[in-house]
Amino acid sequence: MLKLLRQKEWSPYLAGTLLGLVYVISIAVTGIIPGASGAFENIGGLIAQAVYPDLAKNTYFQFVMPPGITTAVMILLGIVIGAFVSAKLSGDFKLQTVSDPQWKRVFGNATWKRWLVLFIGGIILEFGAGIAGGCTSGLAIGGGLFLAPSAFIFIAAMFASGIPVAMLMYWRKY
Amino acid sequence: MFEMLFSLVVGFTFGFALQKAGLSKYHKIVNVFRFTDLAVLKFMMTTLAVSMVGVFALNSLGIVALPNIPATYVIGNLIGGLIFGVGMAGAGF
Repeated sequence: MLKLLRQKEWSPYLAGTLLGLVYVISIAVTGIIPGASGAFENIGGLIAQAVYPDLAKNTYFQFVMPPGITTAVMILLGIVIGAFVSAKLSGDFKLQTVSDPQWKRVFGNATWKRWLVLFIGGIILEFGAGIAGGCTSGLAIGGGLFLAPSAFIFIAAMFASGIPVAMLMYWRKY
Repeated sequence: MFEMLFSLVVGFTFGFALQKAGLSKYHKIVNVFRFTDLAVLKFMMTTLAVSMVGVFALNSLGIVALPNIPATYVIGNLIGGLIFGVGMAGAGF
């Protein structure tokens, strides 16, 4: 068991089974569908309340995503801690400004380039998740398991735009 | 209070599974859009299958009530998904 926990990489089927059980237990015990992106909106609402209270009074923050330290924020916090513990156990944890070998090979070692793309990509991603009503975890899996049409529209759309973007970024190396 | 602590544990296992599947790495995410490494899809679809069977089995036994499922509004889901895909393939998370 300990050996398994210390393994660097699991088969995606094993890790997927573990996450599937997490969804079942979470829905069974609290009725909460785990998701990652909602937490950013809850925290964003808190920041809006502090620096620009008028913005926090709009319909979105009043009814769709109320600001506050919600269960979604706790899940996000847990994700960070869980991933850290997993990486520490397997010795996979390193502090680096550009961490990915494939990125270095294709786009070079420049830190600013990676961080700029991460920052802008993060904004785009969260903005899209806000419009769609969830991200890969909360909408694609959390909705897909109930066969909600929204989840499958979302997955199709995500690949419909993700594939051309990857093609453009990799160009001849695609 | 219980819900908050419980969610922390849910998140912990969530993050643990993601890291073990290697999905915290840039190349795993972007390569699914290049069709060179389908780990993201294998992981997602396994999660879907397991949670689907589990939730509906417990629901049929009358143990678990179904929560509010994510709303469908075609234009929003579609446009949101299109924007999301750009960020996901670009940044790789």
